[in-house]
Amino acid sequence: MKKGPVTLKATLRPKLGSRYAKRAREKGLLPSVVYGHKLDPVAIDIESREAVKHFIAGEKVFTLDFPGRDNSDEGQTVLLKALQFDYLGNNIVHADFARVDLKERVRTKVHVELKGDAKGLKSAGAILIHPTNEIIIECRVMDIPESVTIDVSNLDLNEAITADKVELPTADMKLITDPHAIIAQIVEQKEIVVAEAATVEGAAGVAPEVIGEKERAEKAAAAPGAKPAAGAAGKPAAGAAAKPAAGAAAKPAAKK
Amino acid sequence: MALMPKRVKFRKEFRRVRDRKATKGNYVAYGDYGLQALDGLWLPGKVIEAGRVACQHFLKREGKLFIRVFPDKPISKKPLETRMGTGKADVDYWAARVKAGTMLFEIAGVSEATARSAFARVANKMPCRTRMVTRRIAV
Repeated sequence: MKKGPVTLKATLRPKLGSRYAKRAREKGLLPSVVYGHKLDPVAIDIESREAVKHFIAGEKVFTLDFPGRDNSDEGQTVLLKALQFDYLGNNIVHADFARVDLKERVRTKVHVELKGDAKGLKSAGAILIHPTNEIIIECRVMDIPESVTIDVSNLDLNEAITADKVELPTADMKLITDPHAIIAQIVEQKEIVVAEAATVEGAAGVAPEVIGEKERAEKAAAAPGAKPAAGAAGKPAAGAAAKPAAGAAAKPAAKK
Repeated sequence: MALMPKRVKFRKEFRRVRDRKATKGNYVAYGDYGLQALDGLWLPGKVIEAGRVACQHFLKREGKLFIRVFPDKPISKKPLETRMGTGKADVDYWAARVKAGTMLFEIAGVSEATARSAFARVANKMPCRTRMVTRRIAV
């Protein structure tokens, strides 16, 4: 459990929009928003470097050192709800905070750490897969754990640990994630043969099927008074026949 | 042509704009480490296949490889010494639309050093700048 909320210095963001947000980022600030508790959302700027350091350390609950407007956001406890990254994922460009009370129950994501060497990994070709490394829990704000540790040392080949088998730190915590969701699994790696088959198929020059083309061709053939070859063969033939004739007729006429 | 769709709605496609920034598919979602493209390009199916082969030859049967891109865009090309006109050419190859930031491959179940070595081999096959990344901060 953590000691207490970390304090973040915040200032009111007077001008909104991407242009001003970009200028704030250039000054070393992180554009953020605080919302919740049926109050108006407030756009703020926080110290980027300090905030990112705490985000990386896994902190989620903060106290805002915020001069505030006339509302009661000064000294407000907030919960980190979302982070936005740039397109390469290098930098955090925006943060969302929700107003909370320390005794309030909230839903949050918690990092899952795997502990121990699984016995199933000793067999050849076995690999440990963890499709997700976080679970969603409901607990009091002051009880939010940094991470949940799962012991995988007894996990054998083709066995899995599901979310309902995760031991939560305190009894009043409630698991929100689907109880059947797989957290860790040991599977045997099989050699992929499908792609080789695809290579052979590709080399033969097989074009993909065009959806609805067959039906269209069949309909055209079955329709009364249809041209004998309404498909691909019909068009070029008609075009080739029509064009020179039209051209020959038109050109002399124009010269005259 | 290694990879291509089984069924398509249209045989040929417009070229469309290429160089954009990825707003989706730009983070490690399935594995522990990922190979991220830093440039936008059309990535041919045979290049994706070459990357897969290079990675799996290195990993042998260790770890799991995820391919995050699929070549579903038909690229047409006129034969050499052909006069212009007479309509759009036949499909030459199938390519994946890759934007700057798109995650190309992901690896799970291996150490960071192994993943780095495997991705170094894959990166040599890629016609663009790439880098290895890990999972983002979970909130």
